[in-house]
This record gives sequence, structure tokens and C-alpha cells, in this order.
Amino acid sequence: MALILVIDDEYSIAEVLEAALVDAGHQVVTAINGGQGLERLRERQPDLVLLDFMMPIMDGPAVLRAMKQDLQLRGIPAVVMSSLPESVVAEAAKGAYAAFLRKPFKLAAAVELITAVLNGHG
Amino acid sequence: MGDNPSERPGLERAPTGVPGLDTILAGGLLRGGIFIVQGSPGAGKTILGNQICFRHVANGGRALYVTLLAENHARMLLHIGQLGFFEETVIPDRLYYISAFRVLEEEGLAGVMNLLRREVQAHDVGILVLDGLSAIEDTAASTRELKKFIHQLQAQAAMANCTMLLLTGAKPVSAEHTLVDGVIELQTTLYGRRAERSLQVHKLRGSGYMRGEHSFRITGDGIIAYPSTEAWLSKPSIADRPTGPPVPTGLVQLDRITGGGFPPQSTALLVGPPGIGKTTLGLHFLSECDAKNRGLLFGFYETPAAIADKARTLGLPLERLIAQGHVEINWQPTTQGLLDAVCHQLIEAVRRRGIRRLFIDGLQGFQKLATDRERLGHIFAAFNNEFRGRGVNTLYTSEADLIGPVPGLPLSGLSLQGVSCIAEIILVTRYVELRSELHRMISVLKVRDAEINSAMHKFTITNRGMVIEPDSTGAETILAQAARHGGDPVLATALGAGRSGEG
Repeated sequence: MALILVIDDEYSIAEVLEAALVDAGHQVVTAINGGQGLERLRERQPDLVLLDFMMPIMDGPAVLRAMKQDLQLRGIPAVVMSSLPESVVAEAAKGAYAAFLRKPFKLAAAVELITAVLNGHG
Repeated sequence: MGDNPSERPGLERAPTGVPGLDTILAGGLLRGGIFIVQGSPGAGKTILGNQICFRHVANGGRALYVTLLAENHARMLLHIGQLGFFEETVIPDRLYYISAFRVLEEEGLAGVMNLLRREVQAHDVGILVLDGLSAIEDTAASTRELKKFIHQLQAQAAMANCTMLLLTGAKPVSAEHTLVDGVIELQTTLYGRRAERSLQVHKLRGSGYMRGEHSFRITGDGIIAYPSTEAWLSKPSIADRPTGPPVPTGLVQLDRITGGGFPPQSTALLVGPPGIGKTTLGLHFLSECDAKNRGLLFGFYETPAAIADKARTLGLPLERLIAQGHVEINWQPTTQGLLDAVCHQLIEAVRRRGIRRLFIDGLQGFQKLATDRERLGHIFAAFNNEFRGRGVNTLYTSEADLIGPVPGLPLSGLSLQGVSCIAEIILVTRYVELRSELHRMISVLKVRDAEINSAMHKFTITNRGMVIEPDSTGAETILAQAARHGGDPVLATALGAGRSGEG
């Protein structure tokens, strides 16, 4: 069982992911934007973060930059989610993420990818 | 147009970039204003909101699309991605998508207001779309709270010089209606099995706009709006010009009986039953086209290939004139068309090509497309004014009953089509049945300011086209024989009524 933080401003995505990951035996915490997400990261130090790319207050790349500068958060693997192609994400995130999920995704594929990243195969 | 169609100085416009919509809005939305776009699910609100954002970005601006309880961004972009205006590379740098619903859930209206303020500032946007205003309405504890939200948003829009569009499925309540700068309603109406989309501007503060319903389509390139033709052409784009000599009809005998040809810049109506030669006469009319007198055949039924075949069989030079660029054929099947789209296409073609001879083959095509036939009279009057100003001679054909109208009997249905009242020339063709043969006749009912020969003339369709007899002798002989043999029921009735009156 792992502690996973889902940071996404979209109601439907975060809630559905949370339910699926809980079903898969994980513990899930959610945040509604990058700013709140960074607070949760510092409070909970999760095993993995699922991070949306476009969000209000603080976007995905800004969260990744903040994580990189924080010794305690630097090692937490991040799975970035976006409806944009990975090339756009890779350029903005400077490769500081473990895996990429293109929206809309199939829930089973998302859970499989998250499991692989948790097992160090991301 | 609205009460004050001219744009007031000091009111800067934010063009939507949606074809036709800026004409309806007399230039666009007011920059820094707040507008409600209302419509039932599937009406096209999300497409309209996105299209306005992408057009704004294409013109160098930045835009923000905020959803509440709406389609998720991934699915929305998947759908919008199929449309021609979509350009993925502008996301996220120039067009940004966020959801505010979870903020609304956790922090209420104040949270959403703060979020919008911060994001408008952070992304420096000129257009903001808030998709799902009904979620705000549902969250507001009272009308007063909703009013406060709209009022604050309006202040933000003005201070940030950001034009805001609020998309909602619900009919705007009076509070919102009063506070916003404009309301645009999108709707879909069923006519039998046919669904037609239309939009209506209910309010546009500080500006005139085209009132009434305007059709629109969702195409592969997004929304295209068609300002209602009669409003769009309420004033001709070019003032009426001085008249000149009569214009040749393309048939020497027809020129003679019409008093020298068609009056310049006039509208002619040719009425007759199916197969009698109306299109043939129109092709003669177009045969007079050259580099200085370009022609357009605007038809609804016969395809360009069928028309070309017909002209070839009749020995008329249509194909050569098309190849030389003197004549163009524009074919409009009536199966799924929009009346205003077809009218716009006609006007655009006339303007673009500098048309001087216009042959509209089949008034009934307009009737089939019209969901409100009362409009047709106004549309044809607007056409008439526009074409006259552009120096166009127009010839319409209209289908009549097989036996056709005869002098002395009412022109059944003619006035309903709205052209008879504006036509300066009315030509009537009919069949006369004699024994086993059908004979073709043509007569001129009316020509403006000209002395006409109103006698019936027999004509035939040959491999040299339409041949009209030089005098009415042949027609008189056939009509007299037909009356004696009782071969023409209409004429027999007419003559019978006359005889009983005399007796």
C-alpha cells in the first residue's frame, strides 16, 4: 500500500482516480491546485504524486520545480497528466517526472502505470 | 439593425472572429464587457466559446477557458481538436484551460472570484470564458449573492480590459440579464424532421446590433453565422445607378416582343410548367455574357454537369463561356441547406464575380429551404435592391401548374412567391394541348416602361436552342383549334365563362 497525492483542478478526474487507487489498496490524498498540492506534499510526503499540467494558482511544471528545490520532496516520483502531447509537457517540465499519462486515459492503464512507477519500473 | 447601429466612439470592440457573428454584433463584443451565452445542451456554446478563444489567440491575444460543471478538458479538447480553428501549439502558453469547480465546492463564490482575478492577471488574458454559469447560480444562496458575483466580475472584466463570456444552459434570470453587457441565445428548432440552429442577440449594451433570429451552422471549421438576409441587406451595399439601354435577352424575337429587351438592372420572372424550356431561355440569357458582363447560374435542381449537357444539346456556348471565366454555375441542392446560407452564397458570388447577368433557376428552391415563407417577399425585395445597385439583370424562373396560367385568369401562387410584386418583367409560358400534341407558347405580361407585344407566340426547342415564332399567327391558329376541339380545359373554361357572360 502506498500513499498517493493526486493534484488536479478537475473534479471528475481527481475523484475517479482517488476511487480507483483506493480500490487498488492505496491511500489517497487530493489537492485542487498546485499551491495546495505543494502544501500537501510537504505535510504528507507521499510515495508518489499524480500531477495535472494545467492548473490555477500553480501549474504542474511549477510544482515540479518546487519539488526539485526541496531536498525532502526531490525523490518523490511524479506522474504528469495532461490532455496535451508529452512533448509540450517534457519541454515545460524539463524531464523532472517519472512518467506521463495522456488524458483522456483508461483507468486500468493509469493504475497499471502508477503501480509500475511505485515498483521502480516507471 | 438595432436602435443605434453605429458604433459609439470610445467603445472598443473585441471581434469574436466567428464568421457572420461580428456582422450581427455590429463589430464584435465590447472589450472589457461581460456577456452571457445561453443555450440548451448541444446548442454549440462550448464550440463558440473555444472558437472565440482560438481566434483571439490567432490575432496575438491570450485567452483563458475556465470550466465549472462542464465536460472535462481532455474530452473537450478531443472534440474541439476536430475543428479547423483548433491549434494545439497555442496551449498552454497563449490559451490556458483550468477548472474552478472544486474551488467553488470548497471556497464558494468568493473563492471562484479570487481565482478568476488571479488567473486573468497571471495569464494576462483578453478573453475569458467561464463554461457552466449554472453551477454559480446553483451555489448562490440568494439572488442578491448572484447579483454581487456578476457585479464583481463585471468590475474585474473592466479593470483587466478582459472580455468575459459566461456560458450557461439555463435561461438568464432577470438579475443576470440586467447586469451583463449582452446576452446571446443559441437554439435549435425542429421543422418537421429538419433541425435548424439559430442565434439571437437579446441585448448588447452601448451598441446597435441585428435584431431577430440568425441561422448558424457548426461546420468542420467551427461556427458560421448567417445574419438574416433581409436585415443584412436592409440597405443596398451600392446606391442605385442611372439606367441605360435595354439589355438583350439572348433571343432576338423575345427582344422584339419585350420592347427591345429587358430594362437595365431589372428583375424578370419567367413562369411556366415543367419541361417547357425555362432553363433553356435562361441559358440563352447567359449566352450574352462576356468579360465585361459576367454571368451566374444559381440553380437548385440540375447539376452543373446536367446543365452543361443541356447547353451542348441546344448548341449554346455555355461550356466555352465557363472555360473563359465569363459564366459560373453555382448549384445548391435543397436537401439540407439553410435559407440564409444559400442567400449569402448567392450575394457573395454576385459581389465577388462582379456579376451582370444573374439567372436564378427555380424560385421553389428558396421556398423549400424557407422555414418561414413570409420572409421570402422581404428577401427578394432586398435582393432586388442589392442587384439593381450592382447593375445586375436578374432572371428568375418559377414552376407553374402543368396547364399554366392564361391571360384573364389569376396567376395562381405567383404573388406568394414574393417576386411578382418586384418583377419589372413577367414572362408566362404554357402548353396548349391539341389532339395528341403539346405546343409551347410564350407571352409577356409586363415590362417596366416599355411598349410590349402581349400576344402569345409559339415557340419550339431545337438543336439551336429556343426558337420563338416572329408573330402570333401560329399561336392563334393552335389556340383557335384547341378551343374548337375542347382540347385545353383551362382555355375552354375561360372561353366558356366568357360566352355565358355574353349570352
